[in-house]
Amino acid sequence: MAHMTNPLATVDQLYRRTSFSALPSDLQDTIFFATQCLTQAAGVLLRVPQSVTAQANVVLARYWLVDSPLAHEFSDVSAAALFLVAKLGAHPCPPRDVCNVYAYLLSPSSLLFQAASPSPTPSPPKPDPSTYYLTETAYASFHTRILSLEARILYALGFDTHVALPHPLVVTYLQTLDFLGQPRAEVARRAVAHLNAALLSPQLLYLTHQPHAIAVAAVYNVARDAKAKMPECAWWEVFDVDREELGFLVVAMRSLEGWARRQREEGEPLGRGGMITRGFVEGEMRKRGLNFGNGGPEGEVDEETALMQSLDQKADQMEE
Amino acid sequence: MASKSRWADTADDAAVEAKLKREKEEKKRIKAEKARKAAEEEAKRKAQAEAQQRAAQAQAENEAANDDNANRPSAKRRKLTPEPGANEGEAAAKTTTDGESAKLLRFEAPGTGTWGPSRSVENYDKLNDIEEGAYGWVARAREISTGKVVALKRLKLDSSGRAGLPETGLREIQILKDCAHRNVVSLQEVVVGDDTTLGRIENIFLVLEFLEHDLKSVLEDMPEPFLASEVKTLLRQLASGVAYLHDHWVLHRDLKTSNLLLNNRGTLKIADFGMARYVGDPPPPKLTQLVVTLWYRAPELLLGIKTYGTAVDMWSVGCVFGELLTREPLLQGANEVDELTRIFELCGIPTEDSWPGFRRLPHARSLRLPSSSKQNAAATGSVIRARFPLLTTAGSALLSALLSLNPDARPSARDMLLHEYFRQDPKPKHEALFPTFPSKAGQERRRRRETPNAPGRGQPAELGSVDFSGIFANREKEERGGGFALRMV
Repeated sequence: MAHMTNPLATVDQLYRRTSFSALPSDLQDTIFFATQCLTQAAGVLLRVPQSVTAQANVVLARYWLVDSPLAHEFSDVSAAALFLVAKLGAHPCPPRDVCNVYAYLLSPSSLLFQAASPSPTPSPPKPDPSTYYLTETAYASFHTRILSLEARILYALGFDTHVALPHPLVVTYLQTLDFLGQPRAEVARRAVAHLNAALLSPQLLYLTHQPHAIAVAAVYNVARDAKAKMPECAWWEVFDVDREELGFLVVAMRSLEGWARRQREEGEPLGRGGMITRGFVEGEMRKRGLNFGNGGPEGEVDEETALMQSLDQKADQMEE
Repeated sequence: MASKSRWADTADDAAVEAKLKREKEEKKRIKAEKARKAAEEEAKRKAQAEAQQRAAQAQAENEAANDDNANRPSAKRRKLTPEPGANEGEAAAKTTTDGESAKLLRFEAPGTGTWGPSRSVENYDKLNDIEEGAYGWVARAREISTGKVVALKRLKLDSSGRAGLPETGLREIQILKDCAHRNVVSLQEVVVGDDTTLGRIENIFLVLEFLEHDLKSVLEDMPEPFLASEVKTLLRQLASGVAYLHDHWVLHRDLKTSNLLLNNRGTLKIADFGMARYVGDPPPPKLTQLVVTLWYRAPELLLGIKTYGTAVDMWSVGCVFGELLTREPLLQGANEVDELTRIFELCGIPTEDSWPGFRRLPHARSLRLPSSSKQNAAATGSVIRARFPLLTTAGSALLSALLSLNPDARPSARDMLLHEYFRQDPKPKHEALFPTFPSKAGQERRRRRETPNAPGRGQPAELGSVDFSGIFANREKEERGGGFALRMV
């Protein structure tokens, strides 16, 4: 059964995330969404299969329930998670490729995070290679950060990198339902699209629900999208999902689109033209009168401050 | 639409469901019971460890606070987890009487069901080194809070350090974490050195179940070979472990006697998954051929096959079988070419009949084999039967099948378990009656082993142009007489 189940987040882990973090939850959600999008984009550019990228998304989400997102630069964590998962599977990515791809995605030439600019240009501006040229020193330091984060992620997860995805299940489920009487390829594509979108959800669906439940929710959503006729009975129970869980997942998956659109419309910070950074979050928190050091109970904040300080020191040392 | 019938409630269905339900409840109850016990122990252990840590690290208040945060919830969680399970069982029992609401399978996560930071290696007391060599460092240690003796295996890091943690080690951890079988060594947890503050994590240890022996040193030190019944016990356990791995899509790719551990209760366990990996069906197209220690490496690997499967493990099992009988590795080639020569000497020369398509393998083009005309067919056949005169017909049939040159002709591990050989007299000896041996791992440093090591990654595999036509040059001249031996049971 290990191939079909995942370890799930504990109530306590989730509670600590929402209640004790120094980070306001809206920023936390924004960071999560942006970083997962970044991981997906990098997966595409690195030409790894979606199964690898999706696992990296899940690993990253699990990691952030153990260590605070503020402990490291978001894009570094994304790169390290992708590098780690790719290495474990059949599609390893050379560190240099990873670094180059992230250098591009984080540069102003990247089209990621720019689509929301007020006047969408029909022809994208010509990319300027000088903005994503990676110097040897920059490469070396990025590489070092990825490697140390790789170890950090493994340590935080107790070296368990097992991720079961709902994607194969959804195809099986659709087969048993005769593809809802719709064109097969289209239905399967829509279902997988729902699953991939759910990876980006700040509701951490992949950490709170087993793959089979997520797969059934995707089937339900596809059926609704296509207005397909489904059995009258509680067909989801055949797939071992109860009504309540299904309802939650369906709503969570359907609400993501609106939430993401609002994020873009509000402009801040996704529309700023670039990946959200730790520096930006720090500035934002200051603006709101929150220091990194006075948001929540002491333990958590102290830890973060300590991490930040030692990181800053490290950065200073490296510059010297 | 055919699936409609599955929803229909017939009397038969109801009966089957009721039966399934009963079985499930039973299982659930047992599981909940077990989980509760484990949780109690765990909580006790955690509490102890915590107290200890607090005392020791009074000065580092910050860290202690973190540890508390990390420890407390997980202990709490573990205590709570089994209860919902138990309640579910009851709930399910209630609905059985109602017969209305459907019962749903609850998928439970493997292992602890969640994740959290690794513990520190300081929870263990080192007792003695077991070995240090190409495989890295292994020591016997005792968990301080429980007194349980374990084996600590240090993850070997890349010398350059620019590739990050080695994927072989990480794959080993992942596969062992996913495996639970009595003939596969169990991984208790992964712990790290105490230097986990931010920066690098350099010392990573696998906490493995401790077994007193490995099969290789036992074989080396035995004055007499294993009895036929003991060979069967060991071989059956090996096959059962391999069958489990193959059922779970794991190729071990380095089966050999030094990787098979034996405890004093006669239980054999497969260890060292440094070469192992998950495969699918059909197998992935680009697997490395640089796997399996030379003496246990299947001919198709030596001939450079790109897509291989579980049969490579079965060849190794055959080699181990031979070694159990003679106490000597069966095919001790000095290099790839020599290994292949010895294989052909033992198993005969492959033909298009016995191994269709072998000529198309990358390194087979450079082979020059003696022409296999009808006259010397006898000379190019397998001599396994003659080499093991004491083995029963069924035994040598099994050995010959495992050592088939054609990978498709080798039995699967599941087939092997059903083989006549294990049902014949003498029956496999009960594990509890197994002889015991003085444990080297438990007491003293072990001798360096002479088995060649598993191939390093990234080394080129090159057979070059080889002339095998000489292998059987002398054999045709040999007497082909009687060839009979007295057989003892």
